[in-house]
Amino acid sequence: MHERAASSSRHIPRLNGSALISFGIKPVGIYTDEPVKTDPNLKDLDLTGITVLGEEWGKIDVEKAASLAPDLIVGDWWPAEKAYSGLEEGVDEKSKKLKELAPIVGISQGESIVDLAEGYENLAKSLGAKVDDPKVAANKQRFEAAVTAFKTATAAKPGLTAAAMAPSDENLSIANPKYAPELLDFQRWGLKVINPERPDPSFPYWETISWENADKYQPDLILWDSRVFTPTVNAEYGKKQPTWFKVKAAKAGAAVSWPGYWLHTYGDFAVELEKLTTAISAADENVGN
Amino acid sequence: MTTTSTVAARRASGLVVLCALLAVAAFLSIAQGSRSIDLSEVLRALGSLGGDGTINSTVTVELRVPRTLLGILVGAALGVAGAILQGVTRNPLADAGIMGINSGAAASVVFAITVLGIHGVEFYVWFAFAGAIGATVLVYSIASMGREGATPVKLALAGAAVTAGFGSLTSAIVMTDIDALNELRFWQVGSLAGRYAPILIGVAPFLLAGLAVSLGCGRALNGLALGEDLARGLGQRVALTRAAAFGVVALLAGAATAACGPIVFIGLVVPHLARFLCGPDYRWILPYSMLLAPIVLLLADVLGRVAGAPGELQVGVVLAVLCAPVFVGIVRYARLAEVGP
Repeated sequence: MHERAASSSRHIPRLNGSALISFGIKPVGIYTDEPVKTDPNLKDLDLTGITVLGEEWGKIDVEKAASLAPDLIVGDWWPAEKAYSGLEEGVDEKSKKLKELAPIVGISQGESIVDLAEGYENLAKSLGAKVDDPKVAANKQRFEAAVTAFKTATAAKPGLTAAAMAPSDENLSIANPKYAPELLDFQRWGLKVINPERPDPSFPYWETISWENADKYQPDLILWDSRVFTPTVNAEYGKKQPTWFKVKAAKAGAAVSWPGYWLHTYGDFAVELEKLTTAISAADENVGN
Repeated sequence: MTTTSTVAARRASGLVVLCALLAVAAFLSIAQGSRSIDLSEVLRALGSLGGDGTINSTVTVELRVPRTLLGILVGAALGVAGAILQGVTRNPLADAGIMGINSGAAASVVFAITVLGIHGVEFYVWFAFAGAIGATVLVYSIASMGREGATPVKLALAGAAVTAGFGSLTSAIVMTDIDALNELRFWQVGSLAGRYAPILIGVAPFLLAGLAVSLGCGRALNGLALGEDLARGLGQRVALTRAAAFGVVALLAGAATAACGPIVFIGLVVPHLARFLCGPDYRWILPYSMLLAPIVLLLADVLGRVAGAPGELQVGVVLAVLCAPVFVGIVRYARLAEVGP
């Protein structure tokens, strides 16, 4: 089933310790999964003086990294793959030599974004960062308010279901909440995110189905992978994939960007939750099945 | 003792049988897939064309029918292109791949993704087509240099050189752009999935024209198969024949690869099967290949769709698994080297 892994791997970006930057820790270098310019984790952060070691998944300039003589490497732990960011299966063998430079630590992409946010805050503290900055507290407060609003919105629509999806030219992928901490959070806070029946065995982040089976899941609201979401993408797929609008929510235009696999901080999560809450409040719980 | 006319009658009835098999394969390709649809619904959808708005009729009419038609055309094109190439180059291992066509198309697709920022299979078609044509022209021009013209050996060498050149160019770009790699990786397997009416309509004229012209190539290929000197002695204009044959191949394999990505083995294996069934006469090998190849392609595609449900296995993967042992068998048991009559 290798080809499925290949088709889905682009949907999984990895972020490498940039959560620490928001606490004022300046790493000597970073490696990201997409151009630094578009990586949502790095938005609004001051990157001057930080060497970029790679801007795409699976490629890290280890020679350059070695010249920076790091004491510690920080990368998320991915339980589905049992590896830290940058060391997963599929990463360049040369890039994997990174692990020889220094010990690696990181927080698990496990049960909740809250664990990631707390984990990186604690890690930052243990590395000597000041975590009592009023901005940190303000972000946490905003996050808590956002969660309350989210819970209120989902409670008002008990029948509302959602599915996290990533359509592509050749097939349709439905995200498996089990390996997507933010989706587990949404479920915890009252949004019925559909669990796919048969996640792909080799790459259980997704269940991949053919376009013939596009109507298999009928949520009321589509959470569209943020890496490929644009305001017009739903209409484009409706035009080019004959069966896309057989997903009733797609036909109704009930699609919203889903911050898939990148959140690490209270601040970012708060902003995304607010957007989702608006979408949930506007959604019709009788669109899907 | 068989006379010439009974041999011809037997070969012709073989064609009729293949036509019937192709019809069966096409029917299977429309009736079967990763979604299970009742036969009665399939027939109703086909009868009402345009469909009744249910997903079963949309899948039948808008997904499976164009996919099947594309499979027939692309299969036929690859089979015929392989047969022509094996004849022109007198190389039993020739197919579109070793003539640089796949690598040219891939390089062009990568160029479209990285440099022009174009994404989506509906746009790749034209870049792949241009790349395939470009590569064929390049191979032929390189092989034509020198007094003796495009001899089989020079064609094979030029094809290998151009393939290597484009291949390293593609790798060089893809190494620095993971998105291009991911998209190319998908394109490069060869698949009939996600290709609908617009792509079918886009490439069909080229494929139909190429197929029509190719059926007239049999005599010329028979001549070339005798060897260059003999062909010339028989009054054939060798260089012109070769150039024309290459033009047809560029059109057929280029458009096929553009539509579906490089589909392996069909062009290589099918002409050998055809030769096994109908003998060494290219006037028969070409139509036999034209029918056999889509049968193989459609059946492999159906297998990948049914076995992979609710997803799909790409036909390129299925073919690689199925055809590799067949090819080994041909190498082992048939007298592969005897491409000529």
